[in-house]
Amino acid sequence: MAMADLDRDDELLEGFFRAAREARPAPSGALMARILADAEAGMPRPPGPHPLARPAGGGGDGGVLSWLGAAFGGWRGIGGLATATVAGLWLGYAGLADTSLLTGGLWSAGEAAATVELMPGVEVFALATGWEG
Amino acid sequence: MALDAQDDRSDDTLLALYGQGDRAAARALAGRLTPLAFRVAQRMLRDPAEAEDVAQEAMLRLWRAAPGWQAGTAKVSTWLYRVVVNLSTDRLRRRRSVPLEAAPEPEDGRPGADEGLVEADRAAALEAALQTLPERQREAVVLRHLEGLANPEIAEIMGVGVEAVESLTARGKRGLMQVLAGRRAELGYGDG
Repeated sequence: MAMADLDRDDELLEGFFRAAREARPAPSGALMARILADAEAGMPRPPGPHPLARPAGGGGDGGVLSWLGAAFGGWRGIGGLATATVAGLWLGYAGLADTSLLTGGLWSAGEAAATVELMPGVEVFALATGWEG
Repeated sequence: MALDAQDDRSDDTLLALYGQGDRAAARALAGRLTPLAFRVAQRMLRDPAEAEDVAQEAMLRLWRAAPGWQAGTAKVSTWLYRVVVNLSTDRLRRRRSVPLEAAPEPEDGRPGADEGLVEADRAAALEAALQTLPERQREAVVLRHLEGLANPEIAEIMGVGVEAVESLTARGKRGLMQVLAGRRAELGYGDG
């Protein structure tokens, strides 16, 4: 084939290529919506601080308190913990005088039971503070 | 307005941001890359429904690749071209070749047709002629002459050497010329 023929063929083909480039097919709105939905569904979760992670650089008391608060489930958790502590103290210092309160009458009054007095004299303390059981 | 019209960040950057859960980055990437994926698939398959399926699948693979994407190892667009070309080739191999006769014929009344219609007919004729080429020649011609990529990038996409790309492109153009030569006159070209 002569060089002139090749040039002419190239020129002809380039006309077709140019027309095809300008008539570029475009995606539909529905396709874009599906692709964005796929992106949304597969989107990795943004990184966030771990609930128990200590804040970086938190060397002060505020940082430690915040970390402890988070470790025990926030202020509500700390409130529950404080309530349980007070109740335990109360049972320990005052409730041992009459264990039937705790056993709910499972043991009869006359039934023998081995007891160990952990805090001798607590009854005297209870009488002195006016508690009658 | 394109979704990424005001976003001049690189594909790499946007993909990394998407990998960190950035919704706006996903929108920008989709607006930038979906037309590319659909366009190439449509030119390879000449079937809008199949081309949409390929484009969606290719983009889905991109979203999945985002968290582990190594910036700087490959161009995102090159990676996407490769996925689209491979998916399109798979579909081509699963179906029979489409005869050129199935392509829409140019409208009659050529002397009175305006230039826009002539151009549209030329584009349609080329797309039909592309379907007559072997798959690899079609890939090379689409990437080189319709997408305007350089031969080294096409070689990377197709997984061959640059010389092979040149050979495939040259043979593809000869094949197109044989098909289109007989339609010069009806498509507004002189007999030469």
